[in-house]
Amino acid sequence: MKVIKIDKKDWVGGLEKSRSAYRLVGPFKENGKQFPVFKELDKGQEPDLTTLNTVISPKSIVFPQSEVMFEYTTDEKSEDCNLLKRPEKNYSPCAVIGIRPYDAAAFLLVQKNFDTPDYRDPYWCDAYEACTFIGMAINNPDNTDFSTSTKSGPFDESGLDVLLVDMKDHFLAKVITDKGDAYLKAAGWTAKVDTDAAIKQIDEMKNKAEVKIASKISFDNIEKKSIMELYEADFWEDVAFACINCGTCTYLCPTCWCFDIQDENHGKSGKRFKNWDGCMFPLFTHHSSGHNPRGIKVMRVRQRFMHKLKYFLDKYEDGIMCVGCGRCTRFCPVNIDIRNVCKLMNS
Amino acid sequence: MEHMGIEPGRIHFSWVSSAESTKFVQVVNEVTEAVKALGPNNHFITKEAKVA
Amino acid sequence: MLGYIDKIRQISKGLIEDKKVDMIIGFKKGTMPMMNEPCLVKSPKDVEKLVWDSNCGINLANYLTDRKERIGIIAKGCDSRNIVTHIIENKIKREQLVIIGVPCTGMIDKHRLTSMFEGEIEQVTEQNGNITIKGEDFEEILKKNDVLQQNCSVCIHRNPVVYDELVSDLVEEQDVDRYEDVRKIEAMPSEKKWNYFDDLLSTCIRCYACRNACPLCYCPTCFVDESRPQWVGKSDDSIDIRTFHFLRAYHCAGRCTDCGACERACPVGINMRMFTRKLEKDCFEQYGWEAGLSLDERPPLDTYKPEDPDDFIK
Ligand code: SF4
Ligand code: SF4
Ligand code: SF4
Ligand code: SF4
Repeated sequence: MKVIKIDKKDWVGGLEKSRSAYRLVGPFKENGKQFPVFKELDKGQEPDLTTLNTVISPKSIVFPQSEVMFEYTTDEKSEDCNLLKRPEKNYSPCAVIGIRPYDAAAFLLVQKNFDTPDYRDPYWCDAYEACTFIGMAINNPDNTDFSTSTKSGPFDESGLDVLLVDMKDHFLAKVITDKGDAYLKAAGWTAKVDTDAAIKQIDEMKNKAEVKIASKISFDNIEKKSIMELYEADFWEDVAFACINCGTCTYLCPTCWCFDIQDENHGKSGKRFKNWDGCMFPLFTHHSSGHNPRGIKVMRVRQRFMHKLKYFLDKYEDGIMCVGCGRCTRFCPVNIDIRNVCKLMNS
Repeated sequence: MEHMGIEPGRIHFSWVSSAESTKFVQVVNEVTEAVKALGPNNHFITKEAKVA
Repeated sequence: MLGYIDKIRQISKGLIEDKKVDMIIGFKKGTMPMMNEPCLVKSPKDVEKLVWDSNCGINLANYLTDRKERIGIIAKGCDSRNIVTHIIENKIKREQLVIIGVPCTGMIDKHRLTSMFEGEIEQVTEQNGNITIKGEDFEEILKKNDVLQQNCSVCIHRNPVVYDELVSDLVEEQDVDRYEDVRKIEAMPSEKKWNYFDDLLSTCIRCYACRNACPLCYCPTCFVDESRPQWVGKSDDSIDIRTFHFLRAYHCAGRCTDCGACERACPVGINMRMFTRKLEKDCFEQYGWEAGLSLDERPPLDTYKPEDPDDFIK
C-alpha cells in the first residue's frame, strides 16, 4: 500500500507525459455543450473533474452504444469473401481519468455477465482489460447518490486502480493495484508520502463524504421474500403508471448491459452490430412469432426493478445490480425513483 | 427537408396526369437539370453506419 | 399558480365522490426539485396527494390514450389542446372526460436552471411570480418569467381551450412573436442549417424519451421500431438519428401543440422542438391552422380546401 502526492501544478504535465504509454479517456465538455461526456482526450484536452457526475455513464468506454462485432463480404473478388472479420480496434493501454468510484464499481457487476467461466464477451473483456481506472473520490455527493447503501460508496476502491482524493492544492493518490502503480510512474508522479498519515486523512474525508449521503435504501427483506411474492405484488400498477417506457433509465445506468444484435448490409458487404437495448422497450422481447412475453408496460417496469433488485441478488448472492449513482432517478422524465420502488419491494 | 439543410432545388413536386406525356417529359428534364446543376448530394447518404 | 391546488383537490374529490369519474389523472409531488410525477387517483382520500405548481410540464394527455374508464384530467392550455387532438383522432371520447382546466402561467425550465448553477440545486420554491433556488452554499431569487421553458415563454394559449371545470379565472394571453428562433434558422444557408441540426443532435442517445413523452406518438409500432421492413438503422449513426427526428416531426405536423414535453423529457437537454416548430409555423402561415383549438374542425392534413397553397407543385 502506498500513497502518492500529486501537486496540482504537476497534474497536466503528468497527464501529458503519460500519453507516451497510454491513451487518455476522461470527462470532457465540448464547446457549447451543457455537460461533459467521457471521451478519448485529444492532446491538450484536460479531463473535467468539476462535474460531480456525468449525465451519461462511462460504461460506453468498454461497452459502446453501437459496436461492430464483425464485417463480411460476399464479393468473390475479395480475398476476404465469406469470412467474418472482427474489425481492428485499438486495445492499447488506456487510462480512464476521473471516473467516479461507483461507476468503476459498476464494471464489476457487468463483468459477472460478460466474463464468465463458460462465456467471455471478447469485445467487452478486451476493452475492459485495456483500461486503468484512475478514480476521483467524491467529496460532495449529490442528492440522488445512495451509493453507500449498495456495495459501493463515494470512496469505493473496488473497481479502481488508483483512488485520487482532492485535497484542494494537491491530490492524494492511493495506489490500489500494480496497474495503477504503473500508470502513476508513467505520469512521473512518484512523491511518496507517509502512508499511515495519508490513509488517515483519506479515511477522514471518506467518512465526511459518507455521512453527507442522506438517501438510503435497504434490501434485506427483498432477499428473504420469494420471487413470486414480489412479482405478484399489487404496487406495480401504481409504480408503472407514470412511466413512459423510454430508455433513459437503462441507457444512462452504468450497470445496465442489455444489447440487441443488428445486421446492416450494403451491397455485397455488411456489418453485424451490438447496440444498446433495454428492458423498457417493447421491441426488446418481441418474438418473431409476434408474441411478446412482456407485452404491456407494467411488465417491463417490473422486469427492470426485479432484475436489478431481486433476480441479480438471488443469482449471484452478491448484492443488487445497482451501484446507487442515482442517474435513473435524476433523469427519469417522470420522476420514477428507484429508491422508492426499492422501499416498496422491501416493505 | 430544405429547413434541415437539403439545398433548395433538390426536391420537386409536380402534378402530372397520365394523359400529359409531354408535361411528364418536360418535368423530368427540368428536374434532372436542376439536380445536376446542384452537383452530387452529400447529405443523407449512408454507405455504412458510422459507429464507435 | 400555487393557489390552484385547493380548488383542484376540491373538484377532484367531488368528482370521485359523486361517481362522475373512475379516476383523476394529475400530478403528485416529485422526489427531486423541479420534478412532479404524473399519478392516478381513485379514492377521495388520495386526492390530498395531488399537487400543482410550475413543475408540471409533462403533458397529461399522454396518459389518456385508448383508456376506457371515465376520467377526470387536469389540463393546462397545451394539455387541453392535446386532449382535443386525441378526441379528433379517436384516442379517447369526449364523453369519457371531465376536463379540469388550469389557466397556466408557464412551467419552469429545469434544464436551464440546472445548468445555471454550479452547485446542486436542492430546493426550488415559488411565490408571487418569483422562484427561489437554494443549494448548499447559495440562494438566489429569480423572476419566474425569466426561467420559463422556451415553449411557455412563447405560448399564446395558456388558458385551456376545452374544460368542464375551471380552477381559477382565466389568465391574460401573451402577445409574443412565436417564431423568432425558427426564422433564424430559415435565414441560414443550407450547409449551415445542416450543421446546426447535426450539432443539435450530436448528444442524442436514442432513448426515445422525447417520442414517448409526446401525446401524439401513440402508434402501436413506431416506424423506428418496425422490423419488417426495417426503415431506419438502429445504431448511433448520425444519419439514422436524424432520420428518427425529422420523420417523427413530420408525423406531428399539424398536430403538435408545442407543449414542450418532448424537450423537457430529454435527459441530455436537446431542443428537438426545432424540428416540430418549423412545421407548426408552416401550418399556421399556410393553412391558418393551430392544432387542438376546436373539436369541430379537421386538421389540414386530412382535409382539402380549394384555397390550400399549391405553388410548390410545378
Ligand atoms: S426513465 Fe423513467 S419513464 Fe423512462 S423508462 Fe425509465 S422509469 Fe420509465
Ligand atoms: S439502477 Fe439507477 S442508481 Fe442504480 S446504478 Fe443504475 S442508474 Fe445508477
Ligand atoms: S429524448 Fe433526447 S436523447 Fe432521447 S431520443 Fe430524444 S433527443 Fe435523443
Ligand atoms: S412534439 Fe413535443 S411539443 Fe409537440 S405535442 Fe409532442 S411532446 Fe408536445
